[in-house]
Amino acid sequence: MASSQYNFKKIVTIPTAQDFIDIILSKTQRKTPTVVHKQYKIARIRNFYLRKIKFTQQSFHDKLQLILTEFPKLEEVHPFYADLMNVLYDKNHYKLALGQLNIAKNLIDNVAKDYGRMMKFADSLYRCKCLKRAALGRMATIIKRQAQSLQYLEQVRQHLSRLPSIDPNTRTLLICGYPNVGKSSFLNKITRADVEVQPYAFTTKSLYVGHTDYKYLRWQVVDTPGILDHSLEDRNTIEMQAITALAHLRAAILYVMDISETCGYTLEEQLNLFNNIKVLFTNKPLLIVLNKIDIKQFDELSEEKKAVFEQFRKDDVRIIEMSTFSEEGVIEVRNEACDRLLAHRVDIKLKSRKVNDVLNRLHVTQPQKRDERVRAPYIPEGVIQRLESMQVTNNNNDQNVSIEKKKTERDLEIELEEDYHLDLRKTWSLKDNDERYDILPEIYRNKNVADFIDPDIMTKLEELEREEEAREQAGFYDMNESEDDEETTAIRKLAKKIRYKRQVIIGEARSKKQARRTPSVPRPKRAVDRENLENTMSGLGIDMDNKEDSHYVAKVHETRSRSLSRPEIKRKREDSEGHVRSSSKVPRDQSGVRDVTMAKKARKINKISQRKMNLGGKTGEADRRIFIKKPKHLFSGKRSTGKTDRR
Amino acid sequence: MAVRTQFESSNDIGVFARLTNAYCLVGIGGSENFYSTFESELGDHIPVIHSSVGDCRIVGRLTVGNRHGLLVPSSTTDQELQHIRNSLPDNVRLRRCEERLSALGNVIACNDYVALIHPDLDKETEQILTDTLNVECFRQTIADRVLVGSYSMFTNQGGLVHPKTSIQEQEELSSLLQVPLVAGTINRGSDVIGAGLLVNDWIGFCGLDTTAHEISVIESVFKLGQHNLSGSTTTTSNKTIKDALLDALT
Repeated sequence: MASSQYNFKKIVTIPTAQDFIDIILSKTQRKTPTVVHKQYKIARIRNFYLRKIKFTQQSFHDKLQLILTEFPKLEEVHPFYADLMNVLYDKNHYKLALGQLNIAKNLIDNVAKDYGRMMKFADSLYRCKCLKRAALGRMATIIKRQAQSLQYLEQVRQHLSRLPSIDPNTRTLLICGYPNVGKSSFLNKITRADVEVQPYAFTTKSLYVGHTDYKYLRWQVVDTPGILDHSLEDRNTIEMQAITALAHLRAAILYVMDISETCGYTLEEQLNLFNNIKVLFTNKPLLIVLNKIDIKQFDELSEEKKAVFEQFRKDDVRIIEMSTFSEEGVIEVRNEACDRLLAHRVDIKLKSRKVNDVLNRLHVTQPQKRDERVRAPYIPEGVIQRLESMQVTNNNNDQNVSIEKKKTERDLEIELEEDYHLDLRKTWSLKDNDERYDILPEIYRNKNVADFIDPDIMTKLEELEREEEAREQAGFYDMNESEDDEETTAIRKLAKKIRYKRQVIIGEARSKKQARRTPSVPRPKRAVDRENLENTMSGLGIDMDNKEDSHYVAKVHETRSRSLSRPEIKRKREDSEGHVRSSSKVPRDQSGVRDVTMAKKARKINKISQRKMNLGGKTGEADRRIFIKKPKHLFSGKRSTGKTDRR
Repeated sequence: MAVRTQFESSNDIGVFARLTNAYCLVGIGGSENFYSTFESELGDHIPVIHSSVGDCRIVGRLTVGNRHGLLVPSSTTDQELQHIRNSLPDNVRLRRCEERLSALGNVIACNDYVALIHPDLDKETEQILTDTLNVECFRQTIADRVLVGSYSMFTNQGGLVHPKTSIQEQEELSSLLQVPLVAGTINRGSDVIGAGLLVNDWIGFCGLDTTAHEISVIESVFKLGQHNLSGSTTTTSNKTIKDALLDALT
């Protein structure tokens, strides 16, 4: 809300200059280290004192900055408040005080900077301490000089916090007029403000605000101090507050006049004042309120007095009579003023662009007829009956017709607890409800059943059946199918032979495998001879002539490696025994071997000796072996790191 | 009458159910609470059907229908289609529809006579819509939003549209639909009307967050319950309230 924007109650209290200094210095004492010795390194001592200076400066800075930001800036607040503050506290004085504090803040910053620099040249604890003392002393002096400003600002703060929180933008009724004409008593009548009312002039010395409710809205009512009829320069602070409110608040103006003249001013004087401040009423809803009609009625006035009001008649200004004493016409005055202000504000707002966002939601669009079609609502009979019966039961409650409550799924779910399962087919409405829980296949003979769902399927089936019958009768299926020629017989015979042979081979292999229960290593893949292959295949009855370009012939000729090695460019450097120089060591399987035949033989013996182990899948001599799992010397006595793990 | 309800602590009940004058589809949830709200209010008059569409429970956003028919998207499985067919009354047509914008509930808004559709909808779908649902179709946007199904809701008696719809636009839509329209919100200020509100010609359901003001607007514009007796007193006080609101809100 905008009103919270102008709440000056939250400004923090400003201490006097002496308190200010005490607060900051004791804070420095509390929040920085306190112990230092001269035998410390000089850098440490310097740092110790530098920290104190910096801390004090920062505390002063923060505190002053807080004051500067919290006090309202005259340029930023609403002009009403700016003017009011000018009237009450004098704009120049106010700005000067804040400016002084700003300067003080900068001076303190500079002091800290200077002494920080000087601290570099201090060469003993004593000198450092002297520098710190000087710095803090100078800061304190700067603040002491601002005693006046601080005191003034504290007074301003106290006064500001007691200002009524007037929202300059909301709906406002503004009551003005001569002193003692009954402004405050009117405010008391229409709001709960409870302003002091006394039978002498200038009871009200400042602005007062109250709130009233009308047409679902809250209205702010502002009571102003009485105004006397003289020029603007002669007005005192109290009157100026009223003028400020009149000038800046976009409100409905209630100009209160005392018809009985018991306030001490004649009607002519009151008219003169009106003319004097009339400029302030332009573009605002205006109402002339004649108060105290309990003392004197309008009709009882003499003719020349009545002539006073001629001017208002001419200007088309509404005059209403009321009495705050007898409360006659008070509410009418309020309502009239509120209505006028609301109409005025709505008029202005309707011109703005923002209004459409709200207006479109306050509007019910009625359709324009575009054709003669009737688009009636569709409400089932049962619903209408139920609604009517509900109305009947509402009308005669004593009858108390209790409609039996239907059992819902939720009730069922609670009742059955874990046994409950959702029955989707419950809602099915089929021609024959017994079919409801029939099991439907989704896939039947590799076909999606749903693809064949068709309302006309029975008629289509009948159609097909009829067609089929006709075809049968026409002799379409009479032809004999068993026509065997020689070729097919031969093929069948051959196929039978192949199948038989295959069965035999598989059977043999199985029986062989079962007979031998020892573990076996599969035989390495052996190349199949071409001749062998061709014999077998032709024995099976396959034509194996002219197979020169077949894949197995080509396979024999091709080499295994893909890259062809080039002849070496350089001759190898070999020694007398034909070894290359880089291969200094003879491979183990060749060392001590005389020639190739011997090597071959050794290899063969080696393989044979390993065969037993390999067949059994046992550990061989090349496998890693741990002879003793827990050697005694490693598991007895004290063990330090790296003793237990011997591997 | 408008009932406040919730689907598994979500206020967007229009996402999980589709209500028309002839049937009500309800998504399959963890518990039967949501289903039973509909069942107890509607069960005597129209079928309330548990269903999923393409294994999703957001049936309200995927389907569109009125008392003449129901359109489901191409993602619907055969079994679901079979189930819905078996549960629907026989005079309601059911049609699966090959449409790129498969959330039919978001792109189409309809009552028993008129439908508003997304401007980019297929010609073919429009044809299917006219045939299946017996409606006139209008390609429209609501407050510059193309998802007409999400941002509006209307029955044969009245309609609620997106809160930013201007008065001229409302006039235009109202003349097309031939029902009175109001711009408003649901679920404490949510602008997705279609997601928060389910309504037919005699009953309405809205999210649990819906305020009393929103409900009273809904009840009066959709003519639910005893709001038919509008006296002359309301029209005079309307002006007062309108002025007051205008001043307070701008």
